[in-house]
Amino acid sequence: MATSFKGKVAIIQFPGVNCENETADAIRSVGLDADLFRWNEDPGLLEESLAVVLPGGFSYQDRIRAGVVAAKDTVMDALSDLASAGHPLLGICNGAQVLVESGFIPGIHWERVDLALAPNIMEDREGYYCNWVYLRNEGSSCRWTRLFLEEEVIPVPIAHAEGRFVTRDEDLLEQMIKNGQIVLRYCTDRGDIDSAFPVNPNGSMENIAGICNREGNVLAMMPHPERASWLRQVPEDICGIWGKKRFQAAGDFSRMEDEGPGRRFFASLLEKGPVSASSGCSGQAKEGGR
Amino acid sequence: MRFKAELWVRLKVADLVAQTAWMTLTEKLDFSSDLHGIVRYSYWGFDAEGESAEKVIEDLDRVVRLDSSFTNQNKHLYLLRVTGDTPGADSITAGDLPLDRDYPVHDTVENVEAGNKRFACDLLVREHRNDRAEGFVSRLESRLKGTKVSGMKVGEVWRLIVNASGDEDAVRKAENMAVTRSRREGVLLNPHYQTSELVGISVPEE
Repeated sequence: MATSFKGKVAIIQFPGVNCENETADAIRSVGLDADLFRWNEDPGLLEESLAVVLPGGFSYQDRIRAGVVAAKDTVMDALSDLASAGHPLLGICNGAQVLVESGFIPGIHWERVDLALAPNIMEDREGYYCNWVYLRNEGSSCRWTRLFLEEEVIPVPIAHAEGRFVTRDEDLLEQMIKNGQIVLRYCTDRGDIDSAFPVNPNGSMENIAGICNREGNVLAMMPHPERASWLRQVPEDICGIWGKKRFQAAGDFSRMEDEGPGRRFFASLLEKGPVSASSGCSGQAKEGGR
Repeated sequence: MRFKAELWVRLKVADLVAQTAWMTLTEKLDFSSDLHGIVRYSYWGFDAEGESAEKVIEDLDRVVRLDSSFTNQNKHLYLLRVTGDTPGADSITAGDLPLDRDYPVHDTVENVEAGNKRFACDLLVREHRNDRAEGFVSRLESRLKGTKVSGMKVGEVWRLIVNASGDEDAVRKAENMAVTRSRREGVLLNPHYQTSELVGISVPEE
Protein backbone atom coordinates (compact mmCIF):
# COMPACT_ATOMS: atom_id res chain seq x y z
CA MET A 1 0.00 0.00 0.00
CA ALA A 2 1.54 3.30 -1.08
CA THR A 3 1.51 6.32 1.22
CA SER A 4 2.01 8.83 -1.58
CA PHE A 5 1.32 8.79 -5.29
CA LYS A 6 3.14 12.03 -6.01
CA GLY A 7 4.55 11.79 -9.52
CA LYS A 8 3.48 8.15 -9.82
CA VAL A 9 1.00 6.36 -12.00
CA ALA A 10 -1.72 4.96 -9.74
CA ILE A 11 -3.21 1.61 -10.71
CA ILE A 12 -6.62 1.12 -9.17
CA GLN A 13 -7.03 -2.32 -7.68
CA PHE A 14 -10.73 -3.10 -7.43
CA PRO A 15 -11.60 -6.48 -5.90
CA GLY A 16 -11.28 -9.02 -8.70
CA VAL A 17 -8.90 -7.26 -11.09
CA ASN A 18 -5.94 -9.39 -12.15
CA CYS A 19 -3.71 -7.36 -14.47
CA GLU A 20 -2.50 -4.77 -11.99
CA ASN A 21 1.06 -6.07 -11.56
CA GLU A 22 1.70 -6.57 -15.29
CA THR A 23 0.37 -3.07 -15.91
CA ALA A 24 2.68 -1.64 -13.23
CA ASP A 25 5.64 -3.46 -14.80
CA ALA A 26 4.78 -2.11 -18.25
CA ILE A 27 4.58 1.44 -16.88
CA ARG A 28 7.89 1.04 -15.05
CA SER A 29 9.46 -0.19 -18.29
CA VAL A 30 9.15 3.30 -19.77
CA GLY A 31 10.88 4.86 -16.76
CA LEU A 32 7.80 5.96 -14.85
CA ASP A 33 6.98 4.98 -11.29
CA ALA A 34 3.78 3.06 -10.66
CA ASP A 35 2.05 1.77 -7.56
CA LEU A 36 -1.17 -0.01 -6.70
CA PHE A 37 -4.06 1.89 -5.13
CA ARG A 38 -6.61 -0.28 -3.37
CA TRP A 39 -10.12 0.89 -4.15
CA ASN A 40 -10.96 1.66 -0.52
CA GLU A 41 -7.91 3.76 0.28
CA ASP A 42 -8.14 7.53 0.77
CA PRO A 43 -8.96 8.94 -2.70
CA GLY A 44 -7.16 12.14 -1.72
CA LEU A 45 -3.91 10.24 -2.29
CA LEU A 46 -4.61 10.26 -6.03
CA GLU A 47 -4.55 14.04 -6.37
CA GLU A 48 -0.79 14.26 -6.83
CA SER A 49 -0.54 11.23 -9.11
CA LEU A 50 0.83 11.61 -12.61
CA ALA A 51 -1.92 9.48 -14.13
CA VAL A 52 -4.41 6.78 -13.18
CA VAL A 53 -4.91 3.38 -14.83
CA LEU A 54 -7.85 1.01 -14.36
CA PRO A 55 -6.39 -2.39 -15.23
CA GLY A 56 -8.03 -5.49 -16.68
CA GLY A 57 -9.63 -8.35 -14.82
CA PHE A 58 -13.03 -8.95 -13.28
CA SER A 59 -13.90 -6.17 -10.86
CA TYR A 60 -16.46 -7.50 -8.39
CA GLN A 61 -16.37 -10.78 -10.31
CA ASP A 62 -18.29 -9.08 -13.17
CA ARG A 63 -21.41 -9.49 -11.04
CA ILE A 64 -24.59 -8.04 -12.58
CA ARG A 65 -22.64 -6.65 -15.57
CA ALA A 66 -18.94 -6.10 -16.24
CA GLY A 67 -17.75 -2.83 -14.70
CA VAL A 68 -21.08 -1.62 -13.33
CA VAL A 69 -20.46 -2.22 -9.62
CA ALA A 70 -17.01 -0.62 -9.65
CA ALA A 71 -18.50 2.34 -11.53
CA LYS A 72 -20.60 3.12 -8.44
CA ASP A 73 -17.63 3.07 -6.03
CA THR A 74 -16.62 6.15 -4.05
CA VAL A 75 -13.18 6.21 -5.66
CA MET A 76 -14.89 6.99 -8.98
CA ASP A 77 -16.03 10.33 -7.50
CA ALA A 78 -12.37 11.26 -7.11
CA LEU A 79 -11.52 9.98 -10.59
CA SER A 80 -14.39 11.99 -12.03
CA ASP A 81 -12.92 15.16 -10.51
CA LEU A 82 -9.40 14.30 -11.67
CA ALA A 83 -10.49 13.42 -15.21
CA SER A 84 -12.58 16.58 -15.45
CA ALA A 85 -9.48 18.55 -14.48
CA GLY A 86 -7.51 16.98 -17.34
CA HIS A 87 -5.68 14.24 -15.43
CA PRO A 88 -4.69 11.30 -17.72
CA LEU A 89 -6.89 8.24 -17.12
CA LEU A 90 -6.65 4.92 -18.94
CA GLY A 91 -9.04 1.96 -18.71
CA ILE A 92 -7.86 -1.36 -20.11
CA CYS A 93 -10.43 -4.12 -20.78
CA ASN A 94 -12.37 -4.33 -17.51
CA GLY A 95 -11.10 -0.83 -16.80
CA ALA A 96 -12.66 0.27 -20.09
CA GLN A 97 -15.93 -1.34 -19.02
CA VAL A 98 -15.79 0.64 -15.77
CA LEU A 99 -15.19 3.90 -17.67
CA VAL A 100 -18.11 3.24 -20.03
CA GLU A 101 -20.44 2.30 -17.17
CA SER A 102 -19.30 5.47 -15.35
CA GLY A 103 -20.16 7.69 -18.31
CA PHE A 104 -16.57 9.02 -18.51
CA ILE A 105 -16.48 7.56 -22.03
CA PRO A 106 -17.57 8.98 -24.39
CA GLY A 107 -18.08 11.72 -21.78
CA ILE A 108 -19.82 14.14 -24.12
CA HIS A 109 -22.44 14.37 -21.39
CA TRP A 110 -20.21 13.72 -18.40
CA GLU A 111 -21.25 10.70 -16.29
CA ARG A 112 -24.23 9.95 -18.54
CA VAL A 113 -24.07 6.36 -19.79
CA ASP A 114 -24.25 6.71 -23.58
CA LEU A 115 -22.54 3.45 -24.55
CA ALA A 116 -22.33 -0.18 -23.58
CA LEU A 117 -19.66 -2.84 -23.87
CA ALA A 118 -22.01 -5.65 -24.78
CA PRO A 119 -21.37 -9.40 -25.16
CA ASN A 120 -19.24 -10.32 -28.16
CA ILE A 121 -20.87 -11.26 -31.44
CA MET A 122 -18.69 -13.77 -33.27
CA GLU A 123 -19.15 -16.15 -36.15
CA ASP A 124 -19.98 -19.68 -34.97
CA ARG A 125 -19.03 -19.06 -31.36
CA GLU A 126 -20.07 -17.12 -28.32
CA GLY A 127 -18.65 -15.89 -25.04
CA TYR A 128 -15.02 -15.31 -24.22
CA TYR A 129 -12.47 -14.77 -26.98
CA CYS A 130 -8.72 -14.43 -26.57
CA ASN A 131 -6.31 -13.73 -29.44
CA TRP A 132 -3.90 -11.24 -30.95
CA VAL A 133 -5.55 -8.58 -33.09
CA TYR A 134 -4.39 -5.59 -35.09
CA LEU A 135 -5.38 -2.04 -34.20
CA ARG A 136 -5.22 1.03 -36.39
CA ASN A 137 -4.37 4.30 -34.70
CA GLU A 138 -6.94 6.70 -36.07
CA GLY A 139 -4.86 9.75 -35.21
CA SER A 140 -6.30 12.02 -32.59
CA SER A 141 -5.31 14.27 -29.75
CA CYS A 142 -5.52 11.39 -27.28
CA ARG A 143 -3.00 11.67 -24.46
CA TRP A 144 -2.30 7.93 -24.53
CA THR A 145 -1.54 7.47 -28.24
CA ARG A 146 0.75 10.42 -28.90
CA LEU A 147 3.71 8.28 -29.86
CA PHE A 148 1.88 6.32 -32.55
CA LEU A 149 1.79 7.40 -36.15
CA GLU A 150 -1.52 8.11 -37.79
CA GLU A 151 -2.86 4.87 -39.31
CA GLU A 152 -0.07 2.89 -37.68
CA VAL A 153 -0.94 -0.78 -37.24
CA ILE A 154 -0.41 -2.04 -33.68
CA PRO A 155 -0.62 -5.75 -32.82
CA VAL A 156 -1.96 -6.40 -29.30
CA PRO A 157 -3.86 -9.17 -27.54
CA ILE A 158 -7.49 -9.08 -26.51
CA ALA A 159 -9.19 -11.29 -23.93
CA HIS A 160 -12.83 -10.59 -23.18
CA ALA A 161 -16.43 -11.76 -23.45
CA GLU A 162 -18.02 -8.30 -23.39
CA GLY A 163 -16.12 -5.94 -25.66
CA ARG A 164 -18.61 -4.83 -28.28
CA PHE A 165 -18.94 -1.05 -28.24
CA VAL A 166 -22.59 -0.30 -28.98
CA THR A 167 -25.05 2.55 -28.51
CA ARG A 168 -28.73 3.16 -29.15
CA ASP A 169 -28.07 6.86 -29.68
CA GLU A 170 -28.12 7.25 -33.46
CA ASP A 171 -26.23 10.55 -33.41
CA LEU A 172 -23.54 9.57 -30.96
CA LEU A 173 -21.25 7.77 -33.39
CA GLU A 174 -21.24 10.75 -35.72
CA GLN A 175 -20.46 13.08 -32.83
CA MET A 176 -17.59 10.90 -31.63
CA ILE A 177 -16.10 10.75 -35.13
CA LYS A 178 -16.46 14.50 -35.51
CA ASN A 179 -14.79 15.05 -32.14
CA GLY A 180 -11.90 12.71 -33.02
CA GLN A 181 -12.81 10.38 -30.15
CA ILE A 182 -12.51 7.10 -32.07
CA VAL A 183 -8.87 6.41 -31.33
CA LEU A 184 -8.36 2.73 -32.14
CA ARG A 185 -10.11 0.42 -34.61
CA TYR A 186 -9.68 -3.29 -35.29
CA CYS A 187 -8.11 -3.83 -38.71
CA THR A 188 -6.25 -6.34 -40.85
CA ASP A 189 -2.48 -6.63 -40.60
CA ARG A 190 -2.34 -4.18 -43.53
CA GLY A 191 -4.49 -1.61 -41.78
CA ASP A 192 -7.73 -2.24 -43.68
CA ILE A 193 -11.01 -2.04 -41.80
CA ASP A 194 -13.01 -5.25 -42.21
CA SER A 195 -16.13 -5.71 -40.09
CA ALA A 196 -16.06 -9.52 -40.32
CA PHE A 197 -14.81 -11.83 -37.57
CA PRO A 198 -11.96 -12.31 -36.66
CA VAL A 199 -10.65 -8.92 -37.87
CA ASN A 200 -13.41 -7.38 -35.82
CA PRO A 201 -13.24 -9.88 -32.96
CA ASN A 202 -16.39 -8.89 -31.07
CA GLY A 203 -18.78 -7.20 -33.51
CA SER A 204 -17.99 -3.74 -32.19
CA MET A 205 -19.69 -0.93 -34.14
CA GLU A 206 -17.34 0.58 -36.73
CA ASN A 207 -14.64 -1.85 -35.51
CA ILE A 208 -14.06 0.38 -32.48
CA ALA A 209 -11.42 -0.88 -30.05
CA GLY A 210 -10.73 2.32 -28.12
CA ILE A 211 -12.54 5.60 -27.45
CA CYS A 212 -11.25 8.71 -25.71
CA ASN A 213 -13.14 11.64 -24.27
CA ARG A 214 -13.31 14.90 -26.22
CA GLU A 215 -10.44 16.39 -24.27
CA GLY A 216 -8.23 13.37 -25.01
CA ASN A 217 -7.08 12.65 -21.46
CA VAL A 218 -9.34 9.63 -20.81
CA LEU A 219 -9.04 6.49 -22.95
CA ALA A 220 -11.06 3.27 -22.73
CA MET A 221 -9.55 0.41 -24.73
CA MET A 222 -10.45 -3.28 -24.78
CA PRO A 223 -7.04 -4.66 -25.91
CA HIS A 224 -4.23 -5.20 -23.41
CA PRO A 225 -1.13 -3.08 -24.16
CA GLU A 226 0.60 -4.36 -21.00
CA ARG A 227 0.60 -7.82 -22.57
CA ALA A 228 2.45 -6.44 -25.59
CA SER A 229 5.07 -4.31 -23.87
CA TRP A 230 8.06 -6.62 -24.37
CA LEU A 231 9.19 -8.32 -27.54
CA ARG A 232 9.14 -11.67 -25.72
CA GLN A 233 5.35 -11.34 -25.42
CA VAL A 234 4.85 -11.07 -29.19
CA PRO A 235 4.08 -14.30 -31.10
CA GLU A 236 6.43 -15.11 -33.97
CA ASP A 237 3.57 -15.48 -36.42
CA ILE A 238 2.37 -11.88 -36.04
CA CYS A 239 2.47 -10.20 -39.44
CA GLY A 240 4.63 -7.19 -40.17
CA ILE A 241 7.66 -5.74 -38.50
CA TRP A 242 6.82 -6.97 -35.00
CA GLY A 243 6.68 -10.60 -36.09
CA LYS A 244 9.98 -10.20 -37.94
CA LYS A 245 11.62 -8.62 -34.90
CA ARG A 246 10.35 -11.36 -32.66
CA PHE A 247 11.53 -14.07 -35.05
CA GLN A 248 14.98 -12.51 -35.32
CA ALA A 249 15.25 -12.21 -31.55
CA ALA A 250 14.53 -15.88 -30.92
CA GLY A 251 17.22 -17.34 -28.68
CA ASP A 252 18.69 -13.93 -27.84
CA PHE A 253 17.51 -13.23 -24.31
CA SER A 254 18.65 -9.62 -24.21
CA ARG A 255 16.77 -8.74 -27.41
CA MET A 256 13.67 -10.46 -26.09
CA GLU A 257 13.58 -7.76 -23.42
CA ASP A 258 13.26 -5.06 -26.09
CA GLU A 259 10.15 -2.92 -26.41
CA GLY A 260 6.94 -4.51 -27.68
CA PRO A 261 4.23 -2.80 -29.71
CA GLY A 262 2.02 -1.88 -26.74
CA ARG A 263 4.60 -0.09 -24.66
CA ARG A 264 4.14 3.25 -26.40
CA PHE A 265 0.65 3.64 -24.90
CA PHE A 266 2.43 4.09 -21.57
CA ALA A 267 5.43 5.95 -23.00
CA SER A 268 3.00 8.48 -24.49
CA LEU A 269 2.62 9.85 -20.96
CA LEU A 270 6.20 11.10 -21.20
CA GLU A 271 5.42 13.20 -24.30
CA LYS A 272 4.69 16.73 -23.23
CA GLY A 273 3.58 18.45 -26.41
CA PRO A 274 1.52 17.47 -29.42
CA VAL A 275 3.12 14.87 -31.66
CA SER A 276 3.33 15.17 -35.41
CA ALA A 277 1.25 12.59 -37.23
CA SER A 278 3.66 12.38 -40.16
CA SER A 279 4.79 8.92 -41.08
CA GLY A 280 8.30 7.70 -41.66
CA CYS A 281 7.19 4.24 -42.70
CA SER A 282 7.11 2.52 -46.02
CA GLY A 283 4.69 -0.07 -47.28
CA GLN A 284 0.93 -0.09 -47.23
CA ALA A 285 0.56 -0.49 -43.51
CA LYS A 286 2.33 2.03 -41.36
CA GLU A 287 4.35 0.34 -38.69
CA GLY A 288 6.10 2.05 -35.83
CA GLY A 289 8.18 -0.53 -34.06
CA ARG A 290 10.98 1.78 -33.20
CA MET B 1 -53.31 -26.03 -29.19
CA ARG B 2 -51.07 -23.06 -28.47
CA PHE B 3 -49.96 -22.14 -24.96
CA LYS B 4 -47.67 -19.70 -23.26
CA ALA B 5 -45.48 -21.17 -20.56
CA GLU B 6 -42.75 -19.86 -18.27
CA LEU B 7 -39.79 -21.34 -16.46
CA TRP B 8 -38.44 -19.52 -13.39
CA VAL B 9 -35.22 -20.77 -11.82
CA ARG B 10 -33.29 -19.56 -8.80
CA LEU B 11 -30.45 -20.78 -6.65
CA LYS B 12 -31.25 -22.82 -3.55
CA VAL B 13 -28.30 -21.22 -1.77
CA ALA B 14 -27.46 -17.56 -1.22
CA ASP B 15 -27.25 -15.67 -4.50
CA LEU B 16 -24.11 -13.52 -4.31
CA VAL B 17 -25.03 -11.60 -7.46
CA ALA B 18 -28.36 -10.58 -5.95
CA GLN B 19 -26.58 -9.68 -2.70
CA THR B 20 -24.13 -7.50 -4.64
CA ALA B 21 -27.06 -5.79 -6.37
CA TRP B 22 -28.64 -5.22 -2.96
CA MET B 23 -25.43 -3.74 -1.53
CA THR B 24 -24.91 -1.54 -4.59
CA LEU B 25 -28.47 -0.20 -4.56
CA THR B 26 -28.69 0.42 -0.84
CA GLU B 27 -25.12 1.47 0.01
CA LYS B 28 -23.66 2.98 -3.16
CA LEU B 29 -26.87 4.41 -4.59
CA ASP B 30 -29.57 6.12 -2.63
CA PHE B 31 -32.26 3.43 -2.41
CA SER B 32 -31.87 2.37 1.21
CA SER B 33 -35.26 3.78 2.13
CA ASP B 34 -37.05 2.22 -0.86
CA LEU B 35 -35.76 -1.32 -1.20
CA HIS B 36 -36.78 -4.16 1.12
CA GLY B 37 -35.36 -7.12 -0.74
CA ILE B 38 -34.18 -8.48 -4.06
CA VAL B 39 -34.30 -11.89 -5.75
CA ARG B 40 -32.81 -12.92 -9.09
CA TYR B 41 -34.30 -15.61 -11.31
CA SER B 42 -33.29 -17.06 -14.64
CA TYR B 43 -36.32 -16.82 -16.89
CA TRP B 44 -37.53 -18.57 -20.04
CA GLY B 45 -40.86 -17.73 -21.68
CA PHE B 46 -42.11 -20.29 -24.21
CA ASP B 47 -44.57 -20.07 -27.10
CA ALA B 48 -45.54 -23.73 -27.16
CA GLU B 49 -47.91 -25.91 -29.13
CA GLY B 50 -49.12 -29.31 -27.98
CA GLU B 51 -52.03 -31.64 -27.33
CA SER B 52 -52.95 -30.05 -23.98
CA ALA B 53 -51.48 -27.68 -21.40
CA GLU B 54 -50.76 -30.61 -19.10
CA LYS B 55 -48.88 -32.47 -21.83
CA VAL B 56 -46.86 -29.37 -22.73
CA ILE B 57 -45.77 -28.84 -19.11
CA GLU B 58 -45.00 -32.53 -18.70
CA ASP B 59 -42.89 -32.55 -21.86
CA LEU B 60 -41.04 -29.32 -21.00
CA ASP B 61 -40.52 -30.50 -17.41
CA ARG B 62 -38.82 -33.68 -18.59
CA VAL B 63 -36.31 -31.61 -20.58
CA VAL B 64 -35.64 -28.81 -18.10
CA ARG B 65 -35.07 -31.29 -15.26
CA LEU B 66 -32.43 -33.19 -17.20
CA ASP B 67 -30.75 -30.48 -19.28
CA SER B 68 -28.27 -28.54 -17.13
CA SER B 69 -28.48 -25.50 -19.36
CA PHE B 70 -31.91 -24.97 -17.76
CA THR B 71 -31.60 -26.39 -14.26
CA ASN B 72 -29.21 -28.29 -12.05
CA GLN B 73 -31.22 -30.21 -9.47
CA ASN B 74 -28.40 -29.92 -6.94
CA LYS B 75 -28.43 -26.15 -6.81
CA HIS B 76 -31.64 -24.81 -8.32
CA LEU B 77 -35.31 -24.49 -7.49
CA TYR B 78 -37.63 -24.04 -10.44
CA LEU B 79 -41.23 -23.45 -11.39
CA LEU B 80 -42.66 -24.32 -14.77
CA ARG B 81 -46.16 -23.03 -15.40
CA VAL B 82 -48.72 -22.21 -18.06
CA THR B 83 -49.68 -18.56 -18.28
CA GLY B 84 -52.41 -16.61 -20.02
CA ASP B 85 -56.06 -17.56 -20.46
CA THR B 86 -55.72 -21.34 -20.31
CA PRO B 87 -58.52 -22.78 -18.11
CA GLY B 88 -57.11 -24.13 -14.87
CA ALA B 89 -53.70 -22.62 -15.61
CA ASP B 90 -52.94 -22.10 -11.91
CA SER B 91 -52.81 -25.82 -11.25
CA ILE B 92 -50.79 -26.76 -14.35
CA THR B 93 -47.30 -26.46 -12.95
CA ALA B 94 -44.15 -28.42 -12.29
CA GLY B 95 -41.23 -27.83 -9.96
CA ASP B 96 -40.79 -26.80 -6.35
CA LEU B 97 -40.07 -23.06 -6.42
CA PRO B 98 -42.67 -21.25 -4.25
CA LEU B 99 -42.78 -18.18 -6.50
CA ASP B 100 -45.88 -16.70 -4.85
CA ARG B 101 -44.22 -16.80 -1.42
CA ASP B 102 -40.71 -15.84 -2.49
CA TYR B 103 -40.38 -12.41 -0.89
CA PRO B 104 -37.22 -12.29 1.22
CA VAL B 105 -36.65 -9.13 3.20
CA HIS B 106 -32.95 -8.42 3.61
CA ASP B 107 -33.21 -5.40 5.81
CA THR B 108 -35.63 -3.18 7.61
CA VAL B 109 -36.31 -0.06 5.64
CA GLU B 110 -36.11 3.05 7.75
CA ASN B 111 -38.24 6.17 7.43
CA VAL B 112 -41.13 4.40 5.68
CA GLU B 113 -43.63 7.03 4.62
CA ALA B 114 -47.05 6.72 6.21
CA GLY B 115 -49.46 4.79 3.99
CA ASN B 116 -46.74 3.12 1.95
CA LYS B 117 -46.60 -0.64 1.62
CA ARG B 118 -44.51 -3.32 -0.03
CA PHE B 119 -44.81 -4.21 -3.69
CA ALA B 120 -42.84 -6.89 -5.52
CA CYS B 121 -42.01 -5.77 -9.06
CA ASP B 122 -40.74 -8.48 -11.41
CA LEU B 123 -38.57 -6.93 -14.12
CA LEU B 124 -37.44 -9.14 -16.98
CA VAL B 125 -34.05 -7.97 -18.28
CA ARG B 126 -32.86 -9.32 -21.60
CA GLU B 127 -30.72 -8.31 -24.54
CA HIS B 128 -32.17 -6.50 -27.54
CA ARG B 129 -30.67 -9.25 -29.67
CA ASN B 130 -32.51 -12.55 -29.34
CA ASP B 131 -29.65 -14.94 -30.21
CA ARG B 132 -29.71 -16.80 -26.91
CA ALA B 133 -33.41 -17.56 -27.29
CA GLU B 134 -32.89 -18.91 -30.81
CA GLY B 135 -30.19 -21.22 -29.48
CA PHE B 136 -32.53 -22.58 -26.81
CA VAL B 137 -35.36 -23.11 -29.31
CA SER B 138 -33.17 -25.32 -31.46
CA ARG B 139 -31.89 -27.10 -28.35
CA LEU B 140 -35.46 -27.91 -27.29
CA GLU B 141 -36.50 -29.02 -30.78
CA SER B 142 -34.37 -32.14 -30.60
CA ARG B 143 -35.44 -33.06 -27.07
CA LEU B 144 -39.19 -32.50 -26.86
CA LYS B 145 -41.65 -35.28 -27.67
CA GLY B 146 -44.90 -33.98 -29.13
CA THR B 147 -44.52 -30.36 -28.05
CA LYS B 148 -43.35 -27.69 -30.45
CA VAL B 149 -41.73 -24.48 -29.22
CA SER B 150 -41.85 -21.73 -31.81
CA GLY B 151 -40.56 -18.76 -29.84
CA MET B 152 -38.83 -17.94 -26.62
CA LYS B 153 -37.84 -15.07 -24.35
CA VAL B 154 -34.68 -15.58 -22.33
CA GLY B 155 -33.37 -13.33 -19.61
CA GLU B 156 -33.17 -12.65 -15.92
CA VAL B 157 -36.05 -11.54 -13.75
CA TRP B 158 -35.18 -9.25 -10.87
CA ARG B 159 -37.85 -9.24 -8.18
CA LEU B 160 -37.49 -5.90 -6.41
CA ILE B 161 -39.47 -5.62 -3.20
CA VAL B 162 -40.00 -1.90 -2.88
CA ASN B 163 -41.69 0.42 -0.47
CA ALA B 164 -44.19 2.54 -2.44
CA SER B 165 -47.50 4.37 -2.27
CA GLY B 166 -49.09 2.35 -5.07
CA ASP B 167 -48.51 0.28 -8.21
CA GLU B 168 -47.29 3.14 -10.36
CA ASP B 169 -44.95 4.45 -7.72
CA ALA B 170 -43.57 0.94 -7.20
CA VAL B 171 -42.88 0.42 -10.91
CA ARG B 172 -41.26 3.85 -11.21
CA LYS B 173 -38.96 3.11 -8.28
CA ALA B 174 -38.09 -0.35 -9.60
CA GLU B 175 -37.20 1.09 -13.00
CA ASN B 176 -35.03 3.76 -11.39
CA MET B 177 -33.17 1.03 -9.52
CA ALA B 178 -32.78 -1.04 -12.67
CA VAL B 179 -31.84 1.23 -15.56
CA THR B 180 -28.30 2.61 -15.69
CA ARG B 181 -28.80 6.02 -17.23
CA SER B 182 -25.82 7.59 -15.51
CA ARG B 183 -23.11 6.69 -13.03
CA ARG B 184 -25.44 7.57 -10.18
CA GLU B 185 -28.53 5.77 -11.51
CA GLY B 186 -29.53 2.12 -11.78
CA VAL B 187 -27.47 -1.06 -11.92
CA LEU B 188 -29.43 -3.93 -13.40
CA LEU B 189 -29.39 -3.11 -17.10
CA ASN B 190 -27.58 -0.98 -19.65
CA PRO B 191 -30.26 0.30 -22.06
CA HIS B 192 -27.80 0.39 -24.96
CA TYR B 193 -27.96 -3.38 -25.32
CA GLN B 194 -30.58 -4.54 -22.83
CA THR B 195 -34.25 -3.94 -22.30
CA SER B 196 -36.61 -4.42 -19.37
CA GLU B 197 -40.21 -5.48 -19.18
CA LEU B 198 -42.52 -5.67 -16.17
CA VAL B 199 -43.71 -9.28 -16.04
CA GLY B 200 -45.47 -9.17 -12.71
CA ILE B 201 -46.37 -7.06 -9.72
CA SER B 202 -47.68 -8.42 -6.46
CA VAL B 203 -48.24 -7.41 -2.86
CA PRO B 204 -46.44 -9.70 -0.40
CA GLU B 205 -48.28 -10.58 2.76
CA GLU B 206 -46.86 -8.63 5.72
